[in-house]
Amino acid sequence: MKSMNQIPSVDLRLREFMDEDEGWGRDAGRITCQRLISFVERHPGVLIFRVTLTGVRRVDISFASETVVELARKHRGQKGFCFIDLVDVDQRENWEAAALRARQPIMSWGVNGKPAFLGVEPSQGSVDALMFALRKTEARAAEYAATDRSMSITNASTKFKQLWEQGFLLRREAAAESGGREYVYILIR
Amino acid sequence: MEPTIIRLPPRWTDASVLEDTLRRGPSPLSTLTSEVQFHIPKKCSLMTDAAVRLLSLLNQLDYSTRRVVVEFEASKDGVLPYLERIGFFQSLSPGVTVRPQRPSGFTAVRYRGSNPGVIEIQRIYRNQRDDSLPKRLTSAITRACEKRPDVKELEGAAWTILAELIDNVFSHSETRLDGFAALQVYPKGNCLKVAVSDSGLGMLETLRPALQSEAPKLAALRDVELIVEVFRQGLSRHGIGRGCGLKGCADKAVKFGASLDIRLPEARVLLLPGNQGYTPNRAFCYSGLPLIWGTHISFTFHLD
Repeated sequence: MKSMNQIPSVDLRLREFMDEDEGWGRDAGRITCQRLISFVERHPGVLIFRVTLTGVRRVDISFASETVVELARKHRGQKGFCFIDLVDVDQRENWEAAALRARQPIMSWGVNGKPAFLGVEPSQGSVDALMFALRKTEARAAEYAATDRSMSITNASTKFKQLWEQGFLLRREAAAESGGREYVYILIR
Repeated sequence: MEPTIIRLPPRWTDASVLEDTLRRGPSPLSTLTSEVQFHIPKKCSLMTDAAVRLLSLLNQLDYSTRRVVVEFEASKDGVLPYLERIGFFQSLSPGVTVRPQRPSGFTAVRYRGSNPGVIEIQRIYRNQRDDSLPKRLTSAITRACEKRPDVKELEGAAWTILAELIDNVFSHSETRLDGFAALQVYPKGNCLKVAVSDSGLGMLETLRPALQSEAPKLAALRDVELIVEVFRQGLSRHGIGRGCGLKGCADKAVKFGASLDIRLPEARVLLLPGNQGYTPNRAFCYSGLPLIWGTHISFTFHLD
């Protein structure tokens, strides 16, 4: 396990949970998913699972749907799952189709550090908040509201909350500078 | 009682021609007939989609305790040697009578895998998944299409389509007989045909009960309309968030301009690709067809 700015994360090598280098079919996906769930449960303090596809030759849409996409959907808002080396075009299409169908966004980080979202896109009203979060590892509503005089902290907070509920971001509670409590929103990276 | 006789035409016979032939006569699985005879002339060239569909029908007739006879017009270079070559008779129920005589199957064994343009009929065992089946079928496609500039993309798309369709046989069909998959490249026809066939309940028979509660508007659609939506929207008896497999197949097939033929027990839809993918206005629908149990899907990819 490694920590990035105190955000506990771990690499998850999908191939280690598969019987073959090609994953296809719902039943095979469900078997793999059970193994993935056990892995996640063995890392209770980890917030972010960085999925690497090294050694995975192919997955079909049903398998994609039953494994990482299902895991991300099941843990939405609590734990985050992202891809860190999804370069194969065909695999990307299949993960995208599965994520879209489940209405579960999953971030895919390119080798150059550029992010892409698989699955649903953020709503028009919260795109800007997500772009703000993408520039930081952690984001607070007060910081985002400070970038636009016409935006209240409540408004900024609502946008972040929507992104959290939809699965784009994680969050944790922290002490605010004012002395109260506030949510810190975390990029799934 | 007189036997039901079905005569195939003396020409290239794909799934459409086979269906036209079946529609002209009584439904052999629905009637009380105790014997069904298929007459196949020497100039009848069965294409792979028709061969696999016919194979399933013959096995279903035999399973339903009818006497089944397939009579080939004698010829050294007709359809009989071709069917022997692709392993048709190894997959045909032993109870089906073949005239003038049933081939030994030796040719299929001898030439298995030697021609990159043809892959023998692959049995999809209903009780045991063959993990390497999509890979083997896809390898054949890759070998046959190796000169295409987009062979890499085609390989990936074909693997996904085959994996999803074969998985459907296990997941949805509750099949009573084994399913089959086959493909063949037709260089002169500039196309590649991929066919997967099972003898289960049929896609809509398992989907409709779930739609009654989850999506009553969809449940009210006619069979042929509902098939189009299965491939357009992705629908599943397992609820929202599932059912993306067949839609994903369709999305990939559209990229390669593939037409899609879906045969259900008594309905059939032929989907032709357009700029917007498969749409209802580019669907040719047939209902009230002679009964064939299961789901029979074939893709035809154009090779240029």
